[in-house]
Amino acid sequence: MDYLLRTVKAEQLKLRKSPVWLAFLVLPVISAFFGTGNYLQNRQLLKSGWFSLWSQHSLFLCFIFMPALIGTFCSYLWRLEHLRNNWNSFLTCPVPLSCLYLGKLLQAVKVMVLGNIWIFFLYFLCGKLCALTDPFPAKTLEWFLCGLLGGSVICCVQLAVSMVIRSFAIPIGIGLVGGIGGLLAANKGLGLWYPYSLYSLGMRANNPQMEIDLKAFTVSCVLYLVLLSGLSIAALRRHEQ
Amino acid sequence: MKTQFLIQTKNLTKQYGKIRCVNSIDLQVPQGSIYGFLGPNGAGKSTTLKMILGLAKPTAGSITLFGTPVNAQNRIRLLAETGSLIESPSYYGHLTGEENLHILQTLKGCPEKDIDQVLQIVRLDTARKKKVNHYSLGMKQRLGLASALLGFPRLLILDEPTNGLDPSGISEMRELICTLPSRYGITVVVSSHLLSEIDQMADHVGIIRKGALVFQDTLKSLHTHAKQQIALRTDRPQETLSLLHRGGLEAAPQEDGYVMLPVIEDDRIADLCRQICEQGIALYRIEKREKSLEDIFLSLTGKETSL
Repeated sequence: MDYLLRTVKAEQLKLRKSPVWLAFLVLPVISAFFGTGNYLQNRQLLKSGWFSLWSQHSLFLCFIFMPALIGTFCSYLWRLEHLRNNWNSFLTCPVPLSCLYLGKLLQAVKVMVLGNIWIFFLYFLCGKLCALTDPFPAKTLEWFLCGLLGGSVICCVQLAVSMVIRSFAIPIGIGLVGGIGGLLAANKGLGLWYPYSLYSLGMRANNPQMEIDLKAFTVSCVLYLVLLSGLSIAALRRHEQ
Repeated sequence: MKTQFLIQTKNLTKQYGKIRCVNSIDLQVPQGSIYGFLGPNGAGKSTTLKMILGLAKPTAGSITLFGTPVNAQNRIRLLAETGSLIESPSYYGHLTGEENLHILQTLKGCPEKDIDQVLQIVRLDTARKKKVNHYSLGMKQRLGLASALLGFPRLLILDEPTNGLDPSGISEMRELICTLPSRYGITVVVSSHLLSEIDQMADHVGIIRKGALVFQDTLKSLHTHAKQQIALRTDRPQETLSLLHRGGLEAAPQEDGYVMLPVIEDDRIADLCRQICEQGIALYRIEKREKSLEDIFLSLTGKETSL
């Protein structure tokens, strides 16, 4: 546990003075702005109040923005090591390799969680600005928690990709393509099997009234988390400089 | 008393595809020494050091650090006692020197006061708040050394630490390294392709050529390999040569007009000078010459390789 705390703290220190988190602040605002505008323009058709507003907020955010955002952040996390000879000092630190990996994963998850809090805050704020009189849906807590689980899976995928690929942009592109692929997989009912769909499925993106099998969803997320983390740690172990 | 080796490798080998970069090396680094690991570029120095640090997996052979075999189980314990600077220094350019050290101090779990101490040792205390991106190469290299020194490990592995530095930077780095064993009890392994550098720093030397260790002993022993000769310069070299041959000496002429002869006793030299003068030959110079370390290095590593 001491080792894990050390790596988490070290990763936190590395991120100082890095404005990369700003994207998590800005993109949800853009998404909320357009989503709310769309909702206001189609109010005659969108009659389910908070649910309708969420459908407009979440579509681009969950399928496109969030995977790209997570991709950017994970690319940045590994870019810190890819640059110069940092792999040498990274791998010669006297801490278990699993903790080195988890230190990065927890940073990615942390930023994703903060991003999600911001997203739901914006949703609430926009709802109030749109003068929605219904009570704020209690279901949002479930969406939020499921979103965190599904988002963590994307963090795992993107961390693995960015660890292997030294380029900064390619993993972000993979995140974007993965997110769009997630939309197709979800439409075909394969959301539970496709890692990029799990976030939007959990967040009930574009379809707030959708019911999902929470047990299957959780199992799928946990399996992906364990599998991808295991593979990443194994890759780290085989990493040669 | 049996010498204690801090690093000991046995048949250490690394092969990439069909190319054998390191070939059955038996490295022995005595405790408390400054071990100069010398070899031309591409000889296998960095690969060997990386294998010792676990950054590259050996194809064959074994490594023992502090008497403990290097394996996945011992990795953390052994790394905790080892500091390293491999190739060029590692750093996060957007952070200050102090912040960079803080990251490593956190990961190594050593006391925070070590940061101040290592910054003082490498004389970077005044630049601690400056972003590393704004450091000169020499300062980055010194920061690399400071990072390696954090926690004051028992062993320090420095791969070409003076690479790219200007002469004053090289001399400063050399001075720093030389003080480490006596001041902090640290054993240092320092690699270089420059013989003069190792000659000024190390007390033990390992010379690697094309992946094989061609020499390993004390620097003193390397110096004894130097062959001494006496060089004479006169106005008539041919007559001098004949005179020396008549005296039963194995003398040989040189292209620059010198006549070379093996080292002989002082009395005999005096006698020889007298004889030369008696023959009316003008004796300009008598010099004692030593086959330079550079010559030895070249003969060990091959003339085709660069210094």
